[in-house]
Amino acid sequence: MSPVVAEPGAAEQLEERASRLFSQHQQEVWRRVDRLLAWLMAGQWLVAIALALLFSPYGWEGKARGGEWHLHAAVFLGGALSVIPIALVWRRPGTLLTRHGVAVCQLLWSALLIHLTGGRIETHFHILGSLTFLAFYRDWPVLLTASGVAVVDHSLRGALWPESVYGTPSPEWWLLLEHTVWMGFLDGVLILSCRDAVREMREMARRRAVAELASECEHQKTRALDHALTELKSAQEHLIRVEKLAAVGQLAASVGHELRNPLAAVRNAHAYLSKRLARPEELAGDARVPQFLALMDRELNSCARIISELLDFARESPVSLQPCPLRPLVEEAMGMVPAREAVRVLNQVPEELPVPLLDREQFRQVLINLVQNAVEAIPAGRAGEVVVRAEGGGGEPLRVRVEDDGGGIPANVLPRIFEPLFTTKKEGTGLGLAIVATRVQRHGGTLQVKSEPGRGSEFLIQLPPATARAA
Amino acid sequence: MSAARVLVVDDEESMRITLAANLELEGHEVVEAASGEEALRKVRERPVDVVLADIRMPGLHGVELHRHLRREQPGLPVVLMTAFAQESLVEDALAEGVFTVMHKPFDVAHLLRTLRHAASVPEVLVVDDSEDVAEATVEGLRLCGVRAQAVYDGDMALERMGSGKIDVCVVDLVMPGVTGPQVVERLRGAGQPVAIIAVSGHDVPEMMRQVAALGDVACMRKPISIRELAQVIARTRGRALARS
Repeated sequence: MSPVVAEPGAAEQLEERASRLFSQHQQEVWRRVDRLLAWLMAGQWLVAIALALLFSPYGWEGKARGGEWHLHAAVFLGGALSVIPIALVWRRPGTLLTRHGVAVCQLLWSALLIHLTGGRIETHFHILGSLTFLAFYRDWPVLLTASGVAVVDHSLRGALWPESVYGTPSPEWWLLLEHTVWMGFLDGVLILSCRDAVREMREMARRRAVAELASECEHQKTRALDHALTELKSAQEHLIRVEKLAAVGQLAASVGHELRNPLAAVRNAHAYLSKRLARPEELAGDARVPQFLALMDRELNSCARIISELLDFARESPVSLQPCPLRPLVEEAMGMVPAREAVRVLNQVPEELPVPLLDREQFRQVLINLVQNAVEAIPAGRAGEVVVRAEGGGGEPLRVRVEDDGGGIPANVLPRIFEPLFTTKKEGTGLGLAIVATRVQRHGGTLQVKSEPGRGSEFLIQLPPATARAA
Repeated sequence: MSAARVLVVDDEESMRITLAANLELEGHEVVEAASGEEALRKVRERPVDVVLADIRMPGLHGVELHRHLRREQPGLPVVLMTAFAQESLVEDALAEGVFTVMHKPFDVAHLLRTLRHAASVPEVLVVDDSEDVAEATVEGLRLCGVRAQAVYDGDMALERMGSGKIDVCVVDLVMPGVTGPQVVERLRGAGQPVAIIAVSGHDVPEMMRQVAALGDVACMRKPISIRELAQVIARTRGRALARS
């Protein structure tokens, strides 16, 4: 069974919905048939007038009443029989009163038409046609009302004015019975068909109710889901804002701390120099003066580096990919890294490597950071080697490796090295590798690291094929 | 006191040598140490008058160094430096009898004044009409590593101030005879730089306003925790000396 019915109260809900749909349908049918019969009434009026003018004189030839009377009957009596049901349909469509009113008038119309044709047997079939039309209502009591009217009419007129009904002044005694039996037979058939139609309507209403409830239930679920999604999204956004704020706070604290140390040294040096400058004659012999000037320069550079790293990290400049030969770029980056004694820095990027698409500035910074880290990874006082290699490119992914044979990265540190603000250096903002990772990502690439304590580390940049990007 | 022997402890060479240069220019004798361990060795070799140490150092950090020095050389004034804006270590250090904590980058003149003051080994004067309270406070401060002495009325307080050893005065506001505000006013009038910490057991907003109007007065409500009092004293020393 459908899940709708399984829910508590769903059965009542279904019944209620089904009966509402059934009533709606029934009302539609009644109004439609009302309109149909109203048109029929108007048509019958015109037919009746035509009959009175053209046929009645022959039908009643040699009988008591003249043609003038029939025309009046057709116009006025027929007018009344049409106007009353049309008015009912117009003012009270779909009501019980209208249906039975229409039925009464329709059967009276049959009587009038029978009368106008002088009781010809053909027009008696009009009764059967009327009953069939009324059966369109799918409301069997209407048929009983109509049949009742026909039987009463036949009985009364058959007794008082048999010519008007049977076309003869002395009809057989069983004629009324015969007509009634035929009518009863048709009524029986029509009542059965009405009941069938109603049963079908009920079944249809029930199915529609099931379908509607199911779809409403789905709709509700969808809405609830949408609502939940919206809430989730706003919660996520809130969380991201909070995290961002926390990150900004952390960043501010970290950078603030990193700036304070060099600034303190500069301030001390400045205080010393100020005092010394007050007595210039003693300056010449003071070795501290040039030493402190150099120190101030170094520490201020350090401040500037920290600030530019911070800005680099904060700036979300989009990558501008241009063809950029890798080997010269690596050469350039190596030139930017301060050389260290006993540490060899080798550029092993092949000359013939296909020219990749890179953001020159951003990728150069990536290389500088990685090479610098590699150089610093080699313990002081021992020889070491830093190598940059590359392979692939063109239609294949480009792989760039920066390798060192330094101290390696301890296993507990390794998972955190790309985290912003994480640093093991004494002087460092912890932004360098975070910047590298972000920039490689912006190039559509990935950054991986392999390290063995004591053996060295390898940073691997993988960039998607240049052809795929150009496409 | 004019020239002192100062031990400068910082793992950052730039900081150490610039501090040393400034101190030497003022005529102080400077001993440098690049770590807490080295500092302990140097102090054991030859005593110093005052220690200036960074808090964040690899190995033995500044606060640990201070704890060692308190055991080995009680009474040796220690001034700590930090680049951190907030740190629980700073709070601990302040509560454990460090003379004060300086925040980098500081003014060199301020540092020189602070060191000179620390080297003079000043004391805290606790003024309270209840002898028990006064003595308990002094004992608590001593346990925290803060030198202190107690007096029980305003006249004795003024007399003690004459010794020139007092730099901070913890005054109970509500006292019979000479009241707290009057004591503060007279202490200020004596012409000696002294920082005031006003303490009151009752809610006396009028008196609080009165002493606050005298300027540079920290206020505390009883019951005061000795830890907090020690922290306030250390902070006051770092601040008040910047002014005088």
